[in-house]
Amino acid sequence: MARGNEADAYWSIFGYLVSGLLFWGGVGYFAARFFDKPYLTLIGLLVGITGAIYLIWLRFGRQ
Amino acid sequence: MINLHFSGEGFVPPSTNDFNLPPIFENIAWLTKPVLLVFLSVILVSLFFVISARKAAVVPSKLQFAGESIYAFVRNDLARDVIGHDFMRFVPYLFTLFTFVLTNNIFGIVPFLQFPAMSHVGFPYVLALFSFFVFHYVGIRKQGLGKYLKDIAFMPGVPKAVYILLTPIEIATFFLVRPLTLSLRLFANMFAGHLLLLVFIMGGEYMLHDSHLIMKIFAPFSFTFGIALTFFEFMVQCLQAYIFTLLTALYIAGALADEH
Repeated sequence: MARGNEADAYWSIFGYLVSGLLFWGGVGYFAARFFDKPYLTLIGLLVGITGAIYLIWLRFGRQ
Repeated sequence: MINLHFSGEGFVPPSTNDFNLPPIFENIAWLTKPVLLVFLSVILVSLFFVISARKAAVVPSKLQFAGESIYAFVRNDLARDVIGHDFMRFVPYLFTLFTFVLTNNIFGIVPFLQFPAMSHVGFPYVLALFSFFVFHYVGIRKQGLGKYLKDIAFMPGVPKAVYILLTPIEIATFFLVRPLTLSLRLFANMFAGHLLLLVFIMGGEYMLHDSHLIMKIFAPFSFTFGIALTFFEFMVQCLQAYIFTLLTALYIAGALADEH
């Protein structure tokens, strides 16, 4: 069981980081295009990575 | 004879064009080498396991032992250890997946075949799609559509406002990133490995045919590296087949679990 859990943690963490960046980064990117304020992309990416790290902590750090 | 396609125009490094193989027969556009190799792998895998299991005996022959070892590996180390209770339902799928991917990967270093079909991204996409449907289907069957989606989207023990931030990430992870990383990991490993072998072996050939003596002297090093990398590739090919199956098993286990 232990080996499975390790691989699960490894790829889940990777997946969360990618999807956090993709989703909120994407939202930020389109917001930046729409409002013509380029820094919104950066804010989106930061929000995404924050959310992803928070999720990882919720899932693996709490136990 | 030697300088057939090296007419002094410099080394042409291998590129993605080396992966676009022409159809074998001119008028059948879909029948390319990767397609043929996939068919061949299906035939080989089926034959091997039918023959190894046909004369099953208490004292196994070498062939039976080999077949049973692979089966036992998938059943015990992948299915039972990861999925746990009620794992036998998934052994046929995982076993097929593992042997199919493994055979196709190893075709990458078998002389004359020498092409991993999984370096064409379409094949891993389809396999990942199968796994995607399997693990969502068993999750929905086990827990019901509403509860399954709620478990995915809402991590328990979080203030309600935070869900605006977290739910999109969870949904993107389960429905987009998981199948995508599953297929792209396999594809990228096979693609890069094949390209690496092409670089060293074609590079060695080019150096051997070069007019400078120094190039000729260093050509064997390139070949040696190519051979060493072939062994390395063998390891990567086995590992990628293993990881693909392991992650599928993990996703199934996650979908069956009551909460993640």
